[in-house]
Amino acid sequence: MNKYWNMIFLAAAFEVGWVVGLSHAYNVFTWILTGICIYVSFHFLIMASSRLPVGTAYAVFAGLGTAGTVIVEIFIFGEPFQLAKILLIALLVTGVFGLKTVTPAAEKKGGLG
Amino acid sequence: MAWFYLIIASFGEIFGVASINMYLKKKSWRWLITLIASFAFGFYFLALAMEDIPLGTAYAVWTGLGATGAVIMGVVVFKESMNVIRALFLTCIICGAVGLRIVS
Repeated sequence: MNKYWNMIFLAAAFEVGWVVGLSHAYNVFTWILTGICIYVSFHFLIMASSRLPVGTAYAVFAGLGTAGTVIVEIFIFGEPFQLAKILLIALLVTGVFGLKTVTPAAEKKGGLG
Repeated sequence: MAWFYLIIASFGEIFGVASINMYLKKKSWRWLITLIASFAFGFYFLALAMEDIPLGTAYAVWTGLGATGAVIMGVVVFKESMNVIRALFLTCIICGAVGLRIVS
C-alpha cells in the first residue's frame, strides 16, 4: 500500500521536473531531460493507479506537483515568498496525508504489480 | 472562445485519467495511445486558452476542473469508493492547488 503512495510521490517529483523544464529548458540536453521527466512521472502515476483509486491518485499527483513547482520557483528561480503560498501548501499537504491514512487498498485492476 | 478551450482542456485531462484506468484493465496499445493523445490534446487547448486568459487564472481553472472531474469520473464511471472524509481531504488538495496557481 505504502509502495503505491510512494510511487505517486515520485511521479509528482518528476512532474515538478518537467513543469520546470517546459518553462526553463534552454538547449537540446535540458529538453531531453524534460522529456524523460514526462515519461517517468506518467509511468509512476500509471503504476500507482493500478492499486489506488485513479481519481484520488491523479488529484494527489496534480496537487503535489503544483506545490513542488511553487517551492522550486521560490528557492531556485527567485519567485517572491508569500505567507499565502505556505498556508496553501500546508492545506494541500494536510489533504494528501489525510487521504493516505484513510484511503483503502484497492483491488488489483490488471496484470501490473 | 478561450474559456471554451479551457473547458475542453480540462476534459482532455479527465478523459486522460479515465484512459489510465482503461489501459490498466485492458493493457492494450490502443488505450495507451488514447491516454497520450488525451493529455496532449488537453495541453494543446490549455495553451490556446492561455493566449487570452491570464496564465495563473487559466492554470487554476484547469487544475480545479481537471482534478475534481477526475475524482467524480472515478466514482461515477469506475465505481471507486468515496466517503465524506476522503471527499474533504480531496477538497483540501484541490483548493490548495487552485489557490497556489492563483497567487503564484
